[in-house]
Amino acid sequence: MTAMTAMTGPCLVRGLLDAPGSSYAGHLAAHGPLPDVDLHRLAEEAALTGRGGAGFPTAAKLRSVAAAAAAGRRAPVVVANGSEGEPGAAKDATLLVLAPHLVLDGLALVAASLGAATAHLATEQAMLSALAAQLAERRDPIGVRLHPVAGAFLSGEESALCAALEGKPPLPRTKFPPVRERGVDGRPTLVLNVETLARLALIARGNHRAAASMLVTRRMEIAGTPWVDVVDMPLGSRLGDVLRLDGVQAVLIGGYAGTWVEAGRAADLRLDRGGLAPVGAALGAGVLAALPADRCGIAETARVVGYLAGQSAGQCGPCLNGLPRIAAALDLLARPAPPPSGLLRDVQRWSGLLPGRGACSHPDATVRLVASALHVFSDELARHRAGRCAGRFAVSFLPVPGVRR
Amino acid sequence: MTGALLWYLNRATGITSLVLMTLTVVLGTVVRRHGRIPGLPRFAVQGLHRNVGLLSALLLVTHVGTAVVDSYVDIGVSSTFVPFASGYRPFAIGLGTLAVDLLVLVVASSLLRNRLPLRLWKAVHLTSYLLWPLAFVHGITAGTDLGGGWLLAVVLGCAAAATWCSIAALGARRATPPPAERAAAALTAASDALVTGTPVGVFRNG
Repeated sequence: MTAMTAMTGPCLVRGLLDAPGSSYAGHLAAHGPLPDVDLHRLAEEAALTGRGGAGFPTAAKLRSVAAAAAAGRRAPVVVANGSEGEPGAAKDATLLVLAPHLVLDGLALVAASLGAATAHLATEQAMLSALAAQLAERRDPIGVRLHPVAGAFLSGEESALCAALEGKPPLPRTKFPPVRERGVDGRPTLVLNVETLARLALIARGNHRAAASMLVTRRMEIAGTPWVDVVDMPLGSRLGDVLRLDGVQAVLIGGYAGTWVEAGRAADLRLDRGGLAPVGAALGAGVLAALPADRCGIAETARVVGYLAGQSAGQCGPCLNGLPRIAAALDLLARPAPPPSGLLRDVQRWSGLLPGRGACSHPDATVRLVASALHVFSDELARHRAGRCAGRFAVSFLPVPGVRR
Repeated sequence: MTGALLWYLNRATGITSLVLMTLTVVLGTVVRRHGRIPGLPRFAVQGLHRNVGLLSALLLVTHVGTAVVDSYVDIGVSSTFVPFASGYRPFAIGLGTLAVDLLVLVVASSLLRNRLPLRLWKAVHLTSYLLWPLAFVHGITAGTDLGGGWLLAVVLGCAAAATWCSIAALGARRATPPPAERAAAALTAASDALVTGTPVGVFRNG
């Protein structure tokens, strides 16, 4: 079993997760009532960015949905996205358990400031009954509709989520028109990650530092035992201070849509957009996984890519045909035996054919992960050619649904 | 106005238009099935479908125009768009008029495709499957010299081609697996292909 707690390390401040529990009275006692504020200006001043993975400026999103609603004279829809399709992440679920009222505060604030027609909260089925009870305690002017999400990797993508809220299969749609103009039921739709909403609720109460940290799911191995936790990490922290890097060969930054970085280069990286850009990484949905030295990085990546290929929505040819071939090739490369000649070159060729050719960025992200793995684990590839492997475990370090842990 | 030229023009444009319409339907089913024609990229098949369709519409303008202008038979201007208003063979000509009405809708909606909701365009476009039989029955009922020979062979050939392709297209539509199953099938096929060394086929998105 893995431990999941809201632990805080020495360098980490307690903030978002320093919660008084899930009762509304406790929440009000700790944070006070929700003030009436100019949300657009506050989000702008705090320079808050979305925490769902893309890191888009929240103020710009708010403004464009408000503009689309005004132009089309249709009340917009706001959606709290807690679907967390990423198997490596646990921050949305942790936040919804520890501080649900901050999320609901944020949702109420955004709905009020946009004059929304409806507000939705989408998350996994198991969380919904607790959330329904918490909603019943509150007296929000706008009712929040709760929706279960399918546990697929892409069901949290904003256009797929909008389709699911309309009762259709949760598949991504084309980028145009964007959901901020035509989303749920054709209305301008604002989809915000639950963490972004919780931070808006803190910012509205005058906590200007709320935008300067981020929830991060840490995956590591401590004394041979898997360790998973969620921490509130100040942006710009040194990676070596957030993860314990002794006995670690590489760090996966940003989750399954992320990038592998060698442990040696990773330690001094600053964890924010500017600090990670030089190594081609981004925090994404906030997953940091430290791969121990006695694991095979290629095998871990092969399992993840196999999962990601199976999670293709099957709508775009390059993704549907490309990802399975790359996954099958990686599976061969992960074996401690000489691979068929030219296989590595094929993988690189296929990888070049995928980016920018899907309705969503699923193939782009997967190809990025593969490219970083082939680069970072090039020694491991050479060992495999010689018939050896660094992996000492049959079970996977990175969780992959459908594979035994 | 009367004369042999009008009559010849009318017959020639009628039969050519039917052949081109058949070709349009056949090409349309190829586009629908994401199919290919040897030597042509997919976008060219699409372009061919569009241009052959436009050409058949152009010939149809001549076909209708000569029929109205020719005073040998009583087909008024009103019969261009109002069905069954003709004095000459009202039923047969009326079917042709209905086909013209549908064709105007299909062509107009396709020219405006970028400005119409996709579903509306698709609904209108699917009426082509009604348009073709109307034109076909109009041809064999209003036609004056189908008694036998090569003209009958052409018409029957058109019917066979259009029917065969339409059935194949509708059948293929049902055979497409749902998106969620496509990825799993592609993954299995790709793994098998690498292990056995056989080339893997192409999976169709839909």
